[in-house]
Amino acid sequence: MSTLDTEAAEPAAQAPGVRTRRRAGNRDRKSDRHRSRTDGRVPLGRRLRRDRTLLLMTVPALVLVVVFNYVPILGNVVAFQDYDPYVSTNGITAMLESPWVGLAQFERVFADPWFWHAVENTFVLFLLQLVLFFPVPIALALLVNSVLRPRLRAVVQAVLYLPHFFSWVLVITVFQQILGGAGIIAQTLRQHGHEGFDLMTDPAVFKFLVTAEGIWKDAGWGVIVFLAALAAVNQDLYEAAAMDGAGRWRRMWHVTLPALRPVIALLLVLRVGDALTVGFEQLLLQRDAVGPGAAEVLDTFVWWTGLRSQDFSYAAAAGLIKGVVGLVLVLSANKVAHLMGEQGVYRK
Amino acid sequence: MTPNAVSTGSRRSTPSRSDSGQSRRGFLASTAVAAAAVAGGAPLLAACGGGDTGGGKKDGTTTGKDAAKILPAFAASTVVAPDIAPKNGSAAGFTRAIPAAELKASVAAKKGKGGALTVMAPFWGPPPASDNPYYKAMNEAIGVRATWQNQDGNVYDQKLGAVLASSEIPDVVVVPGWNLGGKIPSAINAKFEDLGPYLSGDKVKAYPNLAAIPTDAWQRSIFGGKLRGLPMPASYVTNIAPFYRKDLFDAKGWQLPKSADEFLALAKEITSAKAKVWACGDMTWTAYNMFGVLPGNDKALGWHLLDGKLINRIETPEYLEALAWTRKLYDAGVVHPDEKTQNQGDTSLRFTAGQCLVYNNDLSHWYAKTSEQAAQNPAFAMAAMDIPGHAGGTPKLWATNPANIWAFVRRGSSKAVVEDALAIADFTAAPYGTKERMLTDYGVEGVHHTVKDGLPVKTDKGNQEVSSSWLFVASPAPYVAHPDTPDVTRAMIEWQQRMGAVTSKSSFYGMTISEPSQWTGLMNDFEQLEKDIVRGRKKVSDMQQAVSEWKTKGGDELRDWYRKLLDANGSAAS
Repeated sequence: MSTLDTEAAEPAAQAPGVRTRRRAGNRDRKSDRHRSRTDGRVPLGRRLRRDRTLLLMTVPALVLVVVFNYVPILGNVVAFQDYDPYVSTNGITAMLESPWVGLAQFERVFADPWFWHAVENTFVLFLLQLVLFFPVPIALALLVNSVLRPRLRAVVQAVLYLPHFFSWVLVITVFQQILGGAGIIAQTLRQHGHEGFDLMTDPAVFKFLVTAEGIWKDAGWGVIVFLAALAAVNQDLYEAAAMDGAGRWRRMWHVTLPALRPVIALLLVLRVGDALTVGFEQLLLQRDAVGPGAAEVLDTFVWWTGLRSQDFSYAAAAGLIKGVVGLVLVLSANKVAHLMGEQGVYRK
Repeated sequence: MTPNAVSTGSRRSTPSRSDSGQSRRGFLASTAVAAAAVAGGAPLLAACGGGDTGGGKKDGTTTGKDAAKILPAFAASTVVAPDIAPKNGSAAGFTRAIPAAELKASVAAKKGKGGALTVMAPFWGPPPASDNPYYKAMNEAIGVRATWQNQDGNVYDQKLGAVLASSEIPDVVVVPGWNLGGKIPSAINAKFEDLGPYLSGDKVKAYPNLAAIPTDAWQRSIFGGKLRGLPMPASYVTNIAPFYRKDLFDAKGWQLPKSADEFLALAKEITSAKAKVWACGDMTWTAYNMFGVLPGNDKALGWHLLDGKLINRIETPEYLEALAWTRKLYDAGVVHPDEKTQNQGDTSLRFTAGQCLVYNNDLSHWYAKTSEQAAQNPAFAMAAMDIPGHAGGTPKLWATNPANIWAFVRRGSSKAVVEDALAIADFTAAPYGTKERMLTDYGVEGVHHTVKDGLPVKTDKGNQEVSSSWLFVASPAPYVAHPDTPDVTRAMIEWQQRMGAVTSKSSFYGMTISEPSQWTGLMNDFEQLEKDIVRGRKKVSDMQQAVSEWKTKGGDELRDWYRKLLDANGSAAS
């Protein structure tokens, strides 16, 4: 969640600078600087000269983004082709030589029951995560915030953050050892004459299992953003509220939660925009345990058809659909946030 | 055990089985997953593909007269007579170690011209450093400067797809048969050199060890109408052996099952979940053998002419029966619970730990597990049971492919590079009892192995560095040679011979067939469906539904296509 947070913060911070207008003018340096802070009307060349150090410092990051984020986007053209990476000397020139098929790949995707199945699984998982997972970090943050002794607080935070650094392979193995058919709980039950059980391979509870794993691993990490927001709350407000006779709950309701509201709204918008991304590695690792019927989501579907079956064009089309839907979702969620008076992902 | 050590076992030791070899599988399973060998249920691997770029045929196969023109002439090797002669399609067995002084040279002089070349191959487990003493010794002995690019075998298919689509294809690329999915076959025809001009007919005699590779294996190496592959020959007898814990069976007095019903009854008797003992792992592959289901590891092998009609394995009643029976095992709770997840741990580890007493895997596990456990658990004993016929008596088994791993040389390579690659192949295909074989399998004496009581024993360094990779460039006719465990060697060969006696060849045995591209994805979903059915997530009737859809979506047309192929080429069936 921390990465989401910085990603979100960037556009907002850059917004004023991006609007560059060329204006003639011959002012002295000092007023320039002054004016640039107020209305940004400074000649581009002058500003470039002035900010060259800062601009130079952004170049490496910019290059990385272009090379690894923007250039690969061009590869999406294969979604409109019958792409065969082997028709030419290499995969790039093969894009030029593969035949164009228009929207045929998209028609295939829409006609594929497995695609719709993956969409359904994705949305169900998203809703479950939204309802069960999303509130957990907020609750945890409030809890941690109420712990006042610094040492105890540090310990609690460390314990909460730690699982985030485990790989999914490890998390799932631990769950398997505890909840699996030959896991600790099942074996203990058997030794005491009861029936064993196997939560890890039961398609019926799989989505809850996935959500539980997610909470165990990442809920603690999600606390960080909320703690930061809580740290910014003016302590005078609490005192004033206490003076007016507000108890703990009223203070939380009327002071703490309103303070968290912009952050909650922001993260909610981002989460909705990410609705179609419900966890790739985690699901891929457990796909075999319950079968694709319960575990196939859009990301694993794209991976499976693209990399395993090498139907690249088909997978690219499915991935593109996912991207477009995600964009629509994030824009709509942002709109809703604006309507509710929140700032959302970017300022209007 | 280093997984690659497996390959010094039976020539059939394909560390195969692509199934769900997902990216993280290597972490989940022990490194021994490597050995997770098994072609048995491996998915729907097109044996070949279209793409006429090589000037060969776009699809179909090449047999008979056309093949005769390009196949290398056969000249058997006579270096050392095997202790157990091959019979019924089995490998040859060597039970004695041959002292270094008596080793013969099968390669007259250094064949390599000293050229540099790169070789990409799958590797299971942590690969050795690229300039290790073993690789140096091999390079020195062959007269080349080969640089190895070892890639994680569990995700080799993905790596392969990317490398073949790049402009940086290594000079020699190893391709296992279970990685021939999707568009890889067309890539093979487009990206790899025709070796015919170097090996066809009598030309192969320049490479005597390659000339001793059985013609069956060469036939399988014809891709797109040209001889492109250097094969790793294998016995055509099924490589899937049902192993059982002989020590525990003997102690409890359990009798080996003689039918499917007996198997289930015994499994129930063995299972004691409370004590953390389950009867077996996933037995789907063995079920196919018990019920006589046509092979599923190669699309073409799954077709067979029966009473004048070409049928596919998925249309046979045996196929459904085998699935239903395996499902019964799961339902009865006799399968270890972790088998249901498919990627939690390695069945063979549960087997050696005594948590499951029967499992099936590549025959080479017999030696690998026995030697691995010899030091840790002296009481450990395992054996392969004869595959029971489902209704009692002998089963009806089907032949698998006589070669399923190849090395290819990059198209457009200079003559010098091709000849250096062939020099490596001629060296690594040296038969048992030669200096070349000894160096390939055991490395340098004093560094990689020591000789104890006349037996070569690998040192730690040997276990680390001496790997299967070189074998993938080419191997001799199928053989098993474990002088340290002559009994196991003998038992392995005899098991193959008994199973070989009841093995038949289906109509397209030994042919590498390129299906037309519109049908190559037709069977993509079946392996998953099989897994869902035996694990109780789908019904057997779902399979019947899938089969009827398969027929209308192209299965019937594909049948006609295969029929024409059969009429034109004749059958290899026996």
